[in-house]
Amino acid sequence: MKSIIATSSLFLLCLTLVGCTSSPSTQSGSSELSGQLTLTGSSTVAPLATEIAKRFEQQHPKVRIDVQTGGSGKGIADVRLGVADIGMASRPLAADEADLTAHRIAADGVGLIVHDSNPIKELSQEQIIAIYTDKINNWKEVGGEDKEITVVHKAEGRATLEVFLKHFGIENPSVKGDVIVGENEHAVKTVAGTEGAIGYVSIGTAEADIESGVRIRLLPLDAVKANTENVASGAFPMSRPLNLVTANSPSPLASTFIQFCQSADVHDLVKSQYFVPITSESAVAK
Amino acid sequence: MDSGPATSRAIEVRHHWREFCVAVAVWVAATSVICVLIWILADIAIRGLAEVNFGFLIEDVQDAGRVGGIGPIILSTGLILLVCLVVAVPLSFGTAIALTERLDKESWFARNVRRSLDVLAGVPSIVFGLFGNAFFAIALGLGYSILSGGLTLACMVLPILIRTSEQAIRAVPAEYRYAAAALGMKRTTILFRVVLPVAMPALAAGVVLSIGRALAETAALIFTSGYVARTPESLLDSGRSLSVHIYDLAMNVPGGGSKAYATACVLVVLLLAINAATALLLRLAGLHNRSTTGGSL
Repeated sequence: MKSIIATSSLFLLCLTLVGCTSSPSTQSGSSELSGQLTLTGSSTVAPLATEIAKRFEQQHPKVRIDVQTGGSGKGIADVRLGVADIGMASRPLAADEADLTAHRIAADGVGLIVHDSNPIKELSQEQIIAIYTDKINNWKEVGGEDKEITVVHKAEGRATLEVFLKHFGIENPSVKGDVIVGENEHAVKTVAGTEGAIGYVSIGTAEADIESGVRIRLLPLDAVKANTENVASGAFPMSRPLNLVTANSPSPLASTFIQFCQSADVHDLVKSQYFVPITSESAVAK
Repeated sequence: MDSGPATSRAIEVRHHWREFCVAVAVWVAATSVICVLIWILADIAIRGLAEVNFGFLIEDVQDAGRVGGIGPIILSTGLILLVCLVVAVPLSFGTAIALTERLDKESWFARNVRRSLDVLAGVPSIVFGLFGNAFFAIALGLGYSILSGGLTLACMVLPILIRTSEQAIRAVPAEYRYAAAALGMKRTTILFRVVLPVAMPALAAGVVLSIGRALAETAALIFTSGYVARTPESLLDSGRSLSVHIYDLAMNVPGGGSKAYATACVLVVLLLAINAATALLLRLAGLHNRSTTGGSL
């Protein structure tokens, strides 16, 4: 019995060693592009970047693109450290990040969501600020049912949090969240499971979840309906760019990949991830 | 002692009542544990099993995981686990043997090894992930790779594996060692011919516990073995593990819920299969041991 275990583990070890030696040198594409790119950053952009990278690899078989996650902040830090060739950030670059260049590849709106049994039609800017700074604690104070408000807030470092705070002009320490969440889907699940909850998430995520029957509803903002069409047209006030971030002189391969990400060839992929493609040249130029 | 039949009956009644309460409490606790397990398994099976088929197990990941299968992810998970075990098992068994056979149990060194293991066991897995990212991926230059992930996992399972191995070896009766020594066997011979074969079932159980812990790990892997869902070509490629895939589908991919449950189904079935295989191995090993020790002693 012992010898069987020993031989089989040796065999498995050999298999992995075989895996080590075989390098991707067999393919020979028509294009001269080759090399490896590493992308890290926003978990919102990562699924989209993975799909675009897959299509890019099909067109250029000698290129390998590895996409990692960790949040917009990590993406920017990794580009500065040189750990990653391209960072992903789901927000515009801040003033102290002027040493980097942002390349916009898509847009995403941030919308407020409530449970779909909540009869509230719309909230004004002041009401939303009052709810998030703990001045209003019950839905009946803003014209709803007599029910306590559960405020769902994002954790520090999340791009949606920064978009939300910037739009409403509030400071994070003044926000009193009842539940602090990380990803969009986490916020959606929390709101869908709590009747008195309010939260803010990517509109694309919320639309996709509503389509698949999750019990949430998007609230309009400044009388503009929260949907991807209004984000695309620029009518929706609270939106964010999805950026690829590079140091000021990216490699030729990185530049080619970024151009591919901004081209019309990937619009179907952007839409399939529930984001809004950039349409005009001015958007490309930021 | 003799304090009348009435009081003695009262004591007896109270005694029975207490026995009854304790028995009920213990049974309720045990049943609810089983119920929780059944609930989890049923929930995952109902939501995920419909999506699982042979194609799902071998196909590539498509559309961020909403379509396609988890073939590359199963392969990556296997490789990460293999790296982890190849590193962790020899280290752990060695340390366990040192702690039990070579060192005095109360010596300064042995006490400190044990203390550091207890500290390691209490460290949250995300800390191992950050350490692995800083040390294996960046300082050693392994990058986001299966190797980094496997080594990080190895660090994480070391405490549990060493502690279980130590207990396994310590549980071998000292009489076996005395009898072997009386026959003039050398220390190393006693270790490999008597102690380790007897301890083998318990050692194997420790390895399975570690495999379970490693398979279920997300936080330690997301910054070390990474997020790439491509079929790995070498151990230096980044590879997404099953648990990271479930996490990503559930948290980052809108509409990825059903595939997340399907992947969870596969992971749970894998864990159950490993448990069953070990139970079988243990029974075989147990019989094997009994016949040889019976013959040689």
